Amino acid sequence: MSRIAPPKSAPVSKRDPRTGVVQSQDDVCPVCKSARYMNPSLRFLVNPECYHKMCESCVDRMFSHGPAACPIKGCGRTLRKHRFREQTFEDIKVEREVDIRKKVGATFNRREEDFETLLAFNDYLNDVEDITFNLINGIDLEETNKKFETYTRAHGKEIEENAQMAVQERQSFSAAQKLERQQARERREAARREEEEEKREVEENRRDVLNRLASGADAETVAKEGQRVQLKKRMDRQAATERQSYRRLKTLTKPEPEAPIDPFDGLRLVDSYFTLQDDYIWEGIQEARKDVKQTAGGYDVGDYAHRSLVAAFSGLGVFVADEITQRDQLAQNDGVVSEDVGLKDAKMIHAA
Amino acid sequence: MTQHLNEDDLYRTSSQYRLWSFSPESLATLRRKTHELAITRASQYAPKSKSSLWQDGTAVDCLNAEECLRLVQRYLDQVRTTSDHFKWPVPVKATAAQYLARFYLSNSPLTYPPKEIYKTVLFLACKTEATHMTLSEYARRISTPADEVLAPEYKVMQALRFTLDVRQPYRGLKGVLMELLNLAEGRVGEVECVETGGAKALQAEMLALEVPARTAQTMWSAKAAGKIESKDVMDRINAAYSAARTILDGPALLTDAYFLFTPSQILLAALHLADEPLTSFYLRTKLPLDSDLRPKILTTIAACAELLASFSGSHILSKDERAALEQKLEGCRDPSTRDLVGSHAVAKRGGDGGEEAEEKARKKKAAREKHLKEGDDLFGPSLNGKG
Repeated sequence: MSRIAPPKSAPVSKRDPRTGVVQSQDDVCPVCKSARYMNPSLRFLVNPECYHKMCESCVDRMFSHGPAACPIKGCGRTLRKHRFREQTFEDIKVEREVDIRKKVGATFNRREEDFETLLAFNDYLNDVEDITFNLINGIDLEETNKKFETYTRAHGKEIEENAQMAVQERQSFSAAQKLERQQARERREAARREEEEEKREVEENRRDVLNRLASGADAETVAKEGQRVQLKKRMDRQAATERQSYRRLKTLTKPEPEAPIDPFDGLRLVDSYFTLQDDYIWEGIQEARKDVKQTAGGYDVGDYAHRSLVAAFSGLGVFVADEITQRDQLAQNDGVVSEDVGLKDAKMIHAA
Repeated sequence: MTQHLNEDDLYRTSSQYRLWSFSPESLATLRRKTHELAITRASQYAPKSKSSLWQDGTAVDCLNAEECLRLVQRYLDQVRTTSDHFKWPVPVKATAAQYLARFYLSNSPLTYPPKEIYKTVLFLACKTEATHMTLSEYARRISTPADEVLAPEYKVMQALRFTLDVRQPYRGLKGVLMELLNLAEGRVGEVECVETGGAKALQAEMLALEVPARTAQTMWSAKAAGKIESKDVMDRINAAYSAARTILDGPALLTDAYFLFTPSQILLAALHLADEPLTSFYLRTKLPLDSDLRPKILTTIAACAELLASFSGSHILSKDERAALEQKLEGCRDPSTRDLVGSHAVAKRGGDGGEEAEEKARKKKAAREKHLKEGDDLFGPSLNGKG
């Protein structure tokens, strides 16, 4: 006698209305082996430490008294009760990957505006993705973790700032959306205007060229000039569009031009005993002015005249006897004979 | 942040001002101290000396300070004549004389007789003033072995405190000449703060200058009759220049002028001696009448002129006197500095025993030659020193 299996009254799997997770009656807790068939309100929790799922009662039973080892055979990681949570994704691998990405994203949170060139931004994204890939697939874990740590240590402050900025932005999200829409509208307008202007300019240029050809100018030069003007206008427009591109990269600030180097650092020689004339007529230097051997090297006769006159008066107002006696007396008073008197000290003596 | 320096400040930065300028008292003190030190040293090596001039262990017949000074002066003159013999430009002469004078401020002829030093000093000066002559040629022309020329050089450098720049009055004198000639032609105006009538007025003033005194050293004399023209004034200026140049060449180098005065003051003093009205006219155009430095400058120039004028060629020792002094010096000089060449060689080699160093050098040379010889062998050099 064959018995016909009774038709199944309840479906084997159905979707939980609250969480949307597909629940099957065959779900069995790997630890206590209890099935949903016996316990309809069975809920599975997962710990991000090892991603092993357990039923809620097992979690309560095992981990209420503090951290304990994971009961799954082969995994002995210490788990804590508060870290257990409901699985969001069907595939546990995806869950793990998303967790890793969240963790990485919390640290590597630089934005496009922080970079000056697109290339730099892309490099950064590439590096972040490399790290993520290594972490997900367990490749070079040590090295990757080290990179992680060095980055965290180096940019701790920046990370915090960016996180705060993100929080603020989320709060003002709607305002930002409106702004975006407006900017997009403006950009479209600008693009349309640009096109019209370009068309107009081309027309004008053509007319100008024709006029000039008609008035008898040289055809080649006119053509070349016209081309040059057009090219210049195009380049200007391109540069302008680049500058106001919607890519929000950091704008480059050119450093201020350095002041010319002053080799004397503020010292200036003043002729106090004589005024240098433009020209001195004297047989000793007359030929030098015209002599190629002297002028080829850039030799300036005026420099010679100036130097001679400075030498003539350099020290005229220096009264050696008095100043030396004064200096010796000072030295005696100090008790220290400093022989190496530099320029500053000389000025001190002069002032004294 | 701009600091304005005038020419005096520029001079104050020079090593000549900082280290080699003295008041008359400090100069005398320094010389006396040097001499006393030398005498005390002399008393130390006196008992060792074989000379019969020593009695009671005290320096009985040593050169006294005066004689030392005159001997040094004699060699200053010798340096001058040698430089002329080589036909070197005048800066070399001045530099060499100054080096010698500076050397003998901190050393005494008793320790380093000037006969052994002056050739080195001249060679050093020719190197410093960019008229370099190779050592071998110099030694040949001065008939001295090259080692003797080089041996005291480091001592000289130390005594000079490694400051080799000597500020000289010659270029300044040329500048003054240039300006005077242009003043005579009415091309030069005045300096700020000095009140003159402008270029033409200055020219007229020059034409009306009184003639130089009879005691002046210039060769120029006023024309007996007729107006003085600008050409005459220019002759006068040129004559004054050559007279001043002669003074700078001679008395300025042989006295203490470089220690007591600045080159600018020296050259104006020389010009003052040559042609007094011209110089006072020139200074009138340069120094404002109301400046407080003016009387001081004029007195300084006058003092320097006096120093230069008080020197006469007869002060210098004659050949016999020099020979006599040197013989005396021979008896009382420091014997430890007699072999300058030897001590220089030892110092160069690093001071270790000369024989050991020679041994090492010889061994190295022998090893090198052996290696070279074995290299030509049919089977190449020996390995690991075996065979």
